Amino acid sequence: ESPPKEPSEGAVIFPQDPALWMGSSLTATCTVSPERGLHANTMYWTLNGKRLPSSTYGLLSTNGLSVTLHRLNGSQQQSGDNLVCHSRDGHVLAGSCLYVGMPPEKPVNLTCWSRNTKDLSCKWTPGGRGETFIKTKYTLKYKLRWYGRERECEDYSTGQRYTCYIPRDLALFTPYEIWVEASNQLGTATSDVITLDILDVVTTDPPDNVHVSRVGELEDQLTVRWGSPPALKDFLFQAKYQIRYRLEDSTEWKLVDDVGNQTSCRLAGLREGTVYFVQVRCNPVGIYGSRKAGIWSDWSHPTAASTPHSEPLQSGSCDPKPGEQNSTLRRELKQFFGWVRKHACGCSGMSIKLYDQWRVWLQKSHKTRNHVGKNNIPFISDKGTARVFYLT
Amino acid sequence: MSGHVKNMCPQLPISQAARTLLSLLLVAAIDSVSAGVVCRKQPCGSSLQISLKLTKLIHKESADLLKTYKVSQGDMSELFCQMSINNVPDPNISGLDPSERMLSIYSHCKAFLPHLKRVTEQQTDLQPPSSSLLSKLSTAQNRTNGLANQINCIYQTLFPNLPIPPEPVDGPTSVPPSQNVFQQKVYGCVVLKRFKEFLSRVTRELRTLKSQVCTRRTTFADTNALS
Repeated sequence: ESPPKEPSEGAVIFPQDPALWMGSSLTATCTVSPERGLHANTMYWTLNGKRLPSSTYGLLSTNGLSVTLHRLNGSQQQSGDNLVCHSRDGHVLAGSCLYVGMPPEKPVNLTCWSRNTKDLSCKWTPGGRGETFIKTKYTLKYKLRWYGRERECEDYSTGQRYTCYIPRDLALFTPYEIWVEASNQLGTATSDVITLDILDVVTTDPPDNVHVSRVGELEDQLTVRWGSPPALKDFLFQAKYQIRYRLEDSTEWKLVDDVGNQTSCRLAGLREGTVYFVQVRCNPVGIYGSRKAGIWSDWSHPTAASTPHSEPLQSGSCDPKPGEQNSTLRRELKQFFGWVRKHACGCSGMSIKLYDQWRVWLQKSHKTRNHVGKNNIPFISDKGTARVFYLT
Repeated sequence: MSGHVKNMCPQLPISQAARTLLSLLLVAAIDSVSAGVVCRKQPCGSSLQISLKLTKLIHKESADLLKTYKVSQGDMSELFCQMSINNVPDPNISGLDPSERMLSIYSHCKAFLPHLKRVTEQQTDLQPPSSSLLSKLSTAQNRTNGLANQINCIYQTLFPNLPIPPEPVDGPTSVPPSQNVFQQKVYGCVVLKRFKEFLSRVTRELRTLKSQVCTRRTTFADTNALS
């Protein structure tokens, strides 16, 4: 048995690493060089490790074998399906990786936004069902509508797929044309072009330092205060705000929309003695004099506060106060001593055992209170002998 | 010294002798520098123990790496990984005495690195960006490089009179030229399989070396006794 040789040493597959449409057919050939002394009718094919039936083979010559595949399924893995030509003893003669899929569909839902007019982020969705089985490359392109050359976005690494980030050098007060090209080995598709002025799609950071506090003793109100986002100071835009709040254990938010550009607001009509979660968000308005609104920021981190109770808490607390605890113990001791005087022969037999016996007696007498009968207590006198006393 | 200088430095006066001692200690702490690697002093046994631990870690990860690799290439028979490919380092450690064997470990680590790098490059084109294979390959490279540096330091300290040959630039360890995708898949498997076998041998070898070259009296002061 000769040792396994390098793949494609003395054997050639055609086509090598092709890209194919789903559902299409393929005829591949494996040709070995005559020096290897192998006959084609001893060779066989596997696809992804599974042996292909010899009914699909074709004998081309003494050293060439073909295989025909119909209605190809999409590739099992992105690195391609393994179509391999073997010699009779299973050794690999050569292999070819098939990329079976579809050309990409037009990307859709292209939207972009700018943070504080400095940069531009865009996101899109792959068209159609999205999955084309073959590695698809997306390129975001943009150019100024009236002049300028086409440029490509370079930073696709912002965590999420189908996003791109343009960090700088963006012109204001002039429209951009933006689109996405999707391409793979089978074809290309281009999204619709969107046109926008950076100043139309501005968003900003959520407000920071959101504080929620009570309004004196008022049970149904809370005051919310926040800071305007620092970036606003650099720009000639104002902000408008929205607040939303919910009960601690509810998922329904209540929206306060008419906050305007103040940085504080009083919430009223709230429930007393309840915890509320509050968030604030910001929209840059009036950028460089325009009256247009921008894009709402994310909501700020939730802040919580509670409204006061209407009455002082009743003293229905569970734990007795320290003074109370002592008096309970004292009372019990008094009962115990009374019982000992009555039923024990003097106090010289005093021990914790005696105390335990008394407790057992207490329980029993509690249970059989309504029974007419006798209570038996085993009793140890100071003489060490057991006696039984009957009590009625 | 004149009076005004004394007044400027009223704090702890460091004597000349102390300063000299401090400098000597600093120099002694940095044992040697080679290939940009600064080696710090450690007792022989614990140096090798650290390298052994690192080797065991890389070895364990290499088993998972090979498994992940195979899964991401699709159903492949074990045959692919056993094919012979030229120029991939063999996993065997050579040499008769401890210095030769340690050197063999070092040069094998260095030899595997460009192949690991090539496999990473190839798989970057073949795998989806979210594939864990790529990060595992990257980790393997970093750790192997670290191990090579450690062995380098230990070698220099134990055998200071034996030079380490420079790394071969275009030698038998150079990576193959461009390959078709199928060849790339096979190549990657062979590299990773041999890499795993190599690490298994290094683990055994380091244990042996530790008992051979590190005795209780072997500190860095006594290394002359060995050469």
